Amino acid sequence: MNRPHPSPMLQVFQQPERFPELDAVSQDLVLRQSRRTHLLGRLEAILREKGLLDRLKPRVRNHLISARNLVREDRRMLTWEVNRVQRALWNTGLEIILLKGGAYVFLDLPMAQGRPVADLDILMEPKDFPLIEACMAQQGWEQAKLHPYDQRYYREWMHELPPLRHRVRMTELDIHHTIIPKTSRLQPDSHLFFSSAREISGHPGLKTLAPTDMVIHAAVHLFYDGDFDKGLRGLLDLDGLLSHWTLDATFWPQLLPRARVLNLIRPLYYALHFCHRLLGTPIPETILAEANADPQAPGMMARVIMNRLIARIMTPGNPDRLEFTSWLAWSLLYIRSHWLRMPPRMLISHLTQKGLRRWRFDVRNRRIV
Amino acid sequence: MKIGQQSQQELRRHLGWQGLRWSIGPFIIHLRAKVPNFPQFLHTFYGENLLLSPPWDDIADFHLTLHPPLGLRRFWRPKVHFRLDGNAFFTPFPLDHAPPLFEWGLNMAIASRSNHYLLFHAAVLEKNGNALMLPGTPGAGKSTLCAALMLRGFRLLSDEFGLYCPQQKRFLANPRPIGLKNESIDIIRAFDSQAILSQEFPNTRKGTVCYLQPSAESVHNAHNGATPTWIVFPSFQESQPTYLETLPQATSFLRLAANAFNYETMGATGFECVHAMIQSCSVMQLRFGRLEEALSQLHTLTQSTQPTVHT
Repeated sequence: MNRPHPSPMLQVFQQPERFPELDAVSQDLVLRQSRRTHLLGRLEAILREKGLLDRLKPRVRNHLISARNLVREDRRMLTWEVNRVQRALWNTGLEIILLKGGAYVFLDLPMAQGRPVADLDILMEPKDFPLIEACMAQQGWEQAKLHPYDQRYYREWMHELPPLRHRVRMTELDIHHTIIPKTSRLQPDSHLFFSSAREISGHPGLKTLAPTDMVIHAAVHLFYDGDFDKGLRGLLDLDGLLSHWTLDATFWPQLLPRARVLNLIRPLYYALHFCHRLLGTPIPETILAEANADPQAPGMMARVIMNRLIARIMTPGNPDRLEFTSWLAWSLLYIRSHWLRMPPRMLISHLTQKGLRRWRFDVRNRRIV
Repeated sequence: MKIGQQSQQELRRHLGWQGLRWSIGPFIIHLRAKVPNFPQFLHTFYGENLLLSPPWDDIADFHLTLHPPLGLRRFWRPKVHFRLDGNAFFTPFPLDHAPPLFEWGLNMAIASRSNHYLLFHAAVLEKNGNALMLPGTPGAGKSTLCAALMLRGFRLLSDEFGLYCPQQKRFLANPRPIGLKNESIDIIRAFDSQAILSQEFPNTRKGTVCYLQPSAESVHNAHNGATPTWIVFPSFQESQPTYLETLPQATSFLRLAANAFNYETMGATGFECVHAMIQSCSVMQLRFGRLEEALSQLHTLTQSTQPTVHT
């Protein structure tokens, strides 16, 4: 299959040496697209690692340094939040499994350099939730969403508790019990995540998912969660994880069997396929062929459509214009992610509830400016 | 070529097509706008700024647009939208309020993307190469004092941001129209009848707003920074006596750190910068009830080029 023409930004992420040679117009575009896709800090880390920052004009470098300072603050925030959550749960003796950004930072993965983090996500066992919620409340975490519908939505249907926000620091904490909504058609056995979680060396009491599960989680998050504003970042996360775990000889042989056991072949297929196709991630041919041939892999129709839509939203366009095809691709993927999230009747009732609330909010807050 | 040397017709044509680029101190602005009265505002209040003509050989720091909405809303209670890199950050303003929308939009753009500087919420002026910073809380009288000092010959570095460069250990200049609010509009009008003020923009979220043209000298010297020398926290209290007092170092540190928008983002650099500033500057508090008295205190203070150095 021939690859789509890569955008200047993706070219720079793959061949950072080219960035200082670009003319001002192209550099400007790459900076703007990177910022828009939450990847400016990551770009700075890549250029810094290659020793290319000094070859840039001061104006270009300033934007990168500004982004670096922002992601460093994120990292300080994250490390401190983990420390605070550990403190809040100290007496319970519970182990905390860090998900996503938290895991990448505490494992000190190369792809965590320059990656922004907005909040902390952890995975805990649902049987401990009453105790955890009591401890968190005592230490200043409050419900971020008070509306009864939101509370019910999270508690009954989602894969996480309603988000908590710390009263003073205003940081958000998501406590998950699995990686995909309860209402989704794909239902992995969540006990498997807990039983294969690994300790982080040097951080007693903290764990991460096993490498295979971490990749599968990132795939589910990207292809089933509908947060496509951060789509390219999600794909680069997967690229970073796959490139990193390649160093572990046991990783590739375990990946597909694990996804089969978890019943999550489909998102993993998309992850491998698009990393290979759009970013040229080094994935063994045998693994690609095996994923391709798996009976649970998406059908021909789904592949054709997803190829078009994902390629469209992963290629950042002109930041000044909202391009119709991007908008269309984004909307279709958004609808798809909701479709995958919950059965149709529930989806209709959910969207009606949300729509009504937004409308009431707008009416109430109508300001004449 | 200066913005003020272009006719409003030409400004309108460029703004509507590939946009205008000009520099304000360390920043390059790229603005596209299709708003009827905006070229007039630009012509008067950015008249001394040099336009950068294409082909542009450097990036622009901020790509901004001011556009009316599409469709019928163009005619019914028309509004104007502000976008930074295509993202809308504000609810739209009425069409004739494009200047305050532009100014606040640019403030937001600077505040969110200048984390390579320590950013104070302060007015900064210069006298003999030395900088006087007036950090402000709303209502403290920062803009009024800043406008009056500029009209009395101080060079304006900025009315809104103290841009402190950690490498140069200096304030950078970012001279733009000074935003006056509510009572201070008439105070400045009475203070100097020559001052060039914009029309008043009523009913904004900050009340009535009006802009004062920056002095030509300030704009021409925007590439020159100034050494931090005096830091004065103003505090306006109607008809109270005026006095200037030195603040203890610990208080100075805390107040300065709290005043910086991005103190925490800057990490250790933020701490080091504030530390260096309280070491080398006189940090004071100015309580004042009358503008003239405050000006005379500040005048005396800035006469001495050797500031008092704490030990």
